Amino acid sequence: MGGSQSAEDNPVAINVTAMVDVIFCLCLFFMCSMHFKQLEGKIETWLPKDRGVNQTQVDKVVLEEIRVFMRWDAGSNSTIRKVGNRAAVSTDQELMQVILQMASDYKRAGKTEFPVLIDAMPEVPWQDVIHVMDMCKKEAIERIEFAAPMEYQPKK
Amino acid sequence: MSKKGPQIDENVSPNLVPMIDIMFLLLLFFMLSADMGQRELEEVTLPKALSVKEDKDTEKAGNERLTVNIYHIYEVKCQAFEKAQVCREDRHWRVGVKGRDFTDPEKLGTMLKKEADTMRGRDPKNPHVSDRKVMIRADASAPYGLAQRSMNVCAKVGIFKIEVGAARPPDDKKKG
Repeated sequence: MGGSQSAEDNPVAINVTAMVDVIFCLCLFFMCSMHFKQLEGKIETWLPKDRGVNQTQVDKVVLEEIRVFMRWDAGSNSTIRKVGNRAAVSTDQELMQVILQMASDYKRAGKTEFPVLIDAMPEVPWQDVIHVMDMCKKEAIERIEFAAPMEYQPKK
Repeated sequence: MSKKGPQIDENVSPNLVPMIDIMFLLLLFFMLSADMGQRELEEVTLPKALSVKEDKDTEKAGNERLTVNIYHIYEVKCQAFEKAQVCREDRHWRVGVKGRDFTDPEKLGTMLKKEADTMRGRDPKNPHVSDRKVMIRADASAPYGLAQRSMNVCAKVGIFKIEVGAARPPDDKKKG
């Protein structure tokens, strides 16, 4: 197979069969190994500096916080959420209403630093935790922190 | 009795040039789109979030950020995971960094401490705090406890800047 050109046009006949074979193989390899990238992003969070590491000095201890408790209820197959010592909320809207209410109360009282602290039980699905973070971020609550797990003792 | 059919000229030579051109273009496309980089990111189904920030400076961040992947072990057949439900079997999950297994918190702690030490002490007020960032990329159906364990280890070694990997829902791509 020297292509369609006649010997008169091109006196050097190149055998392209081998090249085509190799290109086919390469094409097949890249086609099989190809996958479309998922559009990924990040959500920034912090860990509380006054917990976990005993040597760390804390500039200012923040006493005000909006603590969101999350626990998995196997019976209803859903995550139970509640803010502070208030009753459990059933919908996202309700949850955000309580959080925003608390945030505006803190602002009115002149407080500027009030993190939303996510205190979830280990069985809670990661998606549910991210969902709460996502809703807070959408409401321009930038300071989201994770509560230290139970086995860790707070700083002495 | 010999039967003579119509004479067919068997010397047909198809023009291969356009085909080779197309093959070259295809090859070029697949080569350029192939991801041959170091596999720092494991394949996980990230949780969906609308407020995710685009991770623009990945290369720059790569120097000061470590990615902790929490993913379901591919080889393990798990009904719950296959149905996109939460798999709470601890042994079905793996914590990996740069393709290596760090499921053991102690092992993860040792590695993170080493990494944290390289960027520690930049803040004179908090000399034990490290500027090293950690991104946690956990599967949406992973239990929070796994991510919590990793965050716990981070706090222990003085890493407080945590980024959480999430994916933007497909229909929201244009809006953002």
